[in-house]
Amino acid sequence: MSTVDERPTAEAEEPEGPTNRPEPSYRLREWLSRPYVRHILIIFVILTLAIIPAAWLVIHFMNLSGAPASDIMYEIERTMFVFTLVSAPVMAITATILLYSLLGWGRVHGEEPPMQESPAIRSNPIAIFGWIGATSLLAAFLVIWGLVELARITEMSNGTTRANQQPTTAKPLDINVTGQQWLWTFEYPGQQSITSDVLVVPIDTPIYFNVTSKDVIHNFWVVELGVKIDANPGAITNTGVTPNKLGNFNIRCAELCGLHHAYMETQIKVVTQEQFDAWVREMGGKKFV
Amino acid sequence: MSTDVILTSDIHEQMAVHQPKQRGKAGGFLRRTNVLTGSALGIVLSAVTYAIGSKMVPWGTQNADYSQVGLNALVGATYVAWVIGFMIGIGAFAGPVRWMLGHDITHDDSEYMAGKGQGKWKYWKYTTDHKVVGLQYLVMALTLLGFGGFFAMLIRTELGVTWAEVFDPNFYNSLIGTHGIVMIIAMIIVVAGPLGNFIMPLMIGARDMAFPRLNALSFWLLFAAVPPLLSNLLLGGIRDGWTVYQPLGAQAPVGMIGYQICIITFAFSTGIAGVNLITTIVTMRARGMTWNRVPIFVIGILAAAIMGLVWFPMYQYSQVLAFSDKVVGSSFFIPQEGGSVWLYENLFWLLGHPEVYVIVVPATAALLELMVVFLRKPLFSYKVAVAGFAGIVGLSSVVWVHHMYMTGWAPSAGYPFMLSTELISIPFGFLVLVMLGTLWRGKVWTRLPMMTVYAVLWCKIIGGITGVYLSDVPVDQYMHGSMFVVAHFHFMLMGAGLFGAMGAIAYWFPKMTGKMLHHRLGMVGFWVSFFAFQVTFGSMFVAGLQGQPRRVLQFDNAFEISNWISTIGAYLIGVGMLIFLYAIITSWRSGTIAPANPWGAKTLEWQTQTPVPLENFPVLPVVTSDPYGYGVPDPYDSIELKLTDENLKVGA
Repeated sequence: MSTVDERPTAEAEEPEGPTNRPEPSYRLREWLSRPYVRHILIIFVILTLAIIPAAWLVIHFMNLSGAPASDIMYEIERTMFVFTLVSAPVMAITATILLYSLLGWGRVHGEEPPMQESPAIRSNPIAIFGWIGATSLLAAFLVIWGLVELARITEMSNGTTRANQQPTTAKPLDINVTGQQWLWTFEYPGQQSITSDVLVVPIDTPIYFNVTSKDVIHNFWVVELGVKIDANPGAITNTGVTPNKLGNFNIRCAELCGLHHAYMETQIKVVTQEQFDAWVREMGGKKFV
Repeated sequence: MSTDVILTSDIHEQMAVHQPKQRGKAGGFLRRTNVLTGSALGIVLSAVTYAIGSKMVPWGTQNADYSQVGLNALVGATYVAWVIGFMIGIGAFAGPVRWMLGHDITHDDSEYMAGKGQGKWKYWKYTTDHKVVGLQYLVMALTLLGFGGFFAMLIRTELGVTWAEVFDPNFYNSLIGTHGIVMIIAMIIVVAGPLGNFIMPLMIGARDMAFPRLNALSFWLLFAAVPPLLSNLLLGGIRDGWTVYQPLGAQAPVGMIGYQICIITFAFSTGIAGVNLITTIVTMRARGMTWNRVPIFVIGILAAAIMGLVWFPMYQYSQVLAFSDKVVGSSFFIPQEGGSVWLYENLFWLLGHPEVYVIVVPATAALLELMVVFLRKPLFSYKVAVAGFAGIVGLSSVVWVHHMYMTGWAPSAGYPFMLSTELISIPFGFLVLVMLGTLWRGKVWTRLPMMTVYAVLWCKIIGGITGVYLSDVPVDQYMHGSMFVVAHFHFMLMGAGLFGAMGAIAYWFPKMTGKMLHHRLGMVGFWVSFFAFQVTFGSMFVAGLQGQPRRVLQFDNAFEISNWISTIGAYLIGVGMLIFLYAIITSWRSGTIAPANPWGAKTLEWQTQTPVPLENFPVLPVVTSDPYGYGVPDPYDSIELKLTDENLKVGA
């Protein structure tokens, strides 16, 4: 790679004349034949391959407390996975140059400033535009992916479509979620307004949450279902999810809300429709009979 | 040659320099003030205010709410009295008062205020010399870092002891809030304060800052702002995290008033410092220092000063309104009375996000400045670096809503703000490119400042990538409010910010203190901190991925192992930092005397003598090139030419 071309301009204006500069293909081959370039390319490929498994590791950690229990959470994990894959080469090229700078291009020790100077590379248009182009493409990919995913999970939250793009037919279930210091209350307005401090929902049914708070800001986080929204005093925020896995999952408060914030936890029980109906009868029976 | 040099001071002596018309004698009140008189007057004034106020406030009335408002107003007035009393006592208003009385400060007094002939005592006075202010900022930043680090150790202790509650939950919540805001303030000032004040004017060849008295004012306002903040722990604490979201903040005890007074005062300090830095950089560069010859560190300081100046008022205003809610019972942020919690969040994050860049940009710029010296190689593409800073300044103003994706405020705002947030990775990429391009083929001189470049680049790339995850709304739907966020911003603020600041301080230590920083001790402290940092926050990433919320003191058993590892790592960071601090203190007291230019650098600050004389340069320098003229011609270029000749022969 050369620095700024210092030939007189008159020479450049004569395309026919002999040029002082070799062919681009020759320059590329010459560049690739340099030892440090080869080393860096090899280390780069190795490091990229070494980092790629991190994508599975990230998913593993996220699943330690429980695998996804909704399509939304599945989409979130897939986004994490793809972003980690895309980041691997960026991470690798930086780490490679760091390593090679420390180990490959030589070191000087001692207290006196070194006598030897390094090559005076002030600029390199190919590197600059290549880098800007590559990072812009990566950013564009991430932005487009994010926008599409956001639109998808927004639709899923609204219960209009499933991941397979089929409109759902199940009748949605409304639940009013109220946070207060330091517990959650769930009210089922369509089921004679029964209330519970444990969230019980039927599987494969779109659920709407109308979330609010009595005192300060809380955050309603259903961990394995990928639901998270602030519970604001004086406002109702909406979100939704369609659980697709039976079992008990965690609900935590994810916004500091005072003294017992750490203990503001409860559970969501995803049950079959029959079990849910039985539970509603049981709760309603207690309340109304 | 030496006989022909005309010193500027000689010219001043020989020429009749125009002096403003003066009445009265030199000296007076101005020369008798120092930090002790300031503190004394501050304490007296606040005590008097408290005594008078407690008679007037309807104390102990039946109405619980009303008495709380009264107490808040009383404590607020006491803190304001402290700040005003301190500033009067230190002599901050002596100049303006004299001016209004018709006799300005005499030339003698000006020189006295600049610290002429005062010895070490000048560091405790309202001294206008930028070098004194720089060192005052350095000590203040290190002190605040010490407090913040100590709080961090307490927090990690609580999180490491998973089988019991070590602290009362209220005290724990106060700890995390105080740790956060103390560290934020410390990190905002740790580079822009000491180095922006001490080094930057030297670097552009100026005799002082543009507004020396404002410079002293900005430091002493900061000094006055710290006691109210730290005293909050004694007055019930700020139990709300450093963000102090409303209306939780409105529930807090009177300690919250200390936080609010601190932020309001600190914002004045930052605004004044920002104006001063910008004016100095724009108007006081040496002859010949055109914009493409300005050292990149100066550009970084300019960028940070602009962001601070523009966005700090938002934060200040949020606290003014919250203060009003507390002391006069207004309801800007009380939803039950028609206020909006989202208004607070917006005002807060309008500064809250640019503030991250106010912290990271100067540290990055300092590393760009120093790495060329240790690689003996010009900065790779100065213009790309400038474009990166400009892009960050521009985009920083339109990304704040990414802190509010999950608040339920304007769900559709997620789309544009995801776009702007991910776009900011492009100008950040510019800075990474400049760093990597400068490293490219350079032979490294392995001194401590250079080692921090590697550490910062590593932390910045991890922080950057995890930041890309968090900028994405779907991912944020899992990660928001979790330990993953905590680990991410520690990688940016501590990994990129604090380690960068350590490198910058190590690099300019010889110029600032006249002593060399002890190399081996510094290296040990730095590397212990760095590797322990990776352990602590690497493990915290795992806790976040598992789903641990932040700001909790007890949690599921599933998170125990990651938290134990984090706590062990955190203690080791503490050990490393103490070693580094020990290196700084011993070197400052009894280190080897530094030569004027120990690194063989080409920027102007190294061209003047050490210790730097009062007006910096005997003769003001004239600049004829940028300061990056290191390096030898690329050997590969000559090979290329030779091959080309052969090619030509073959062609002929």
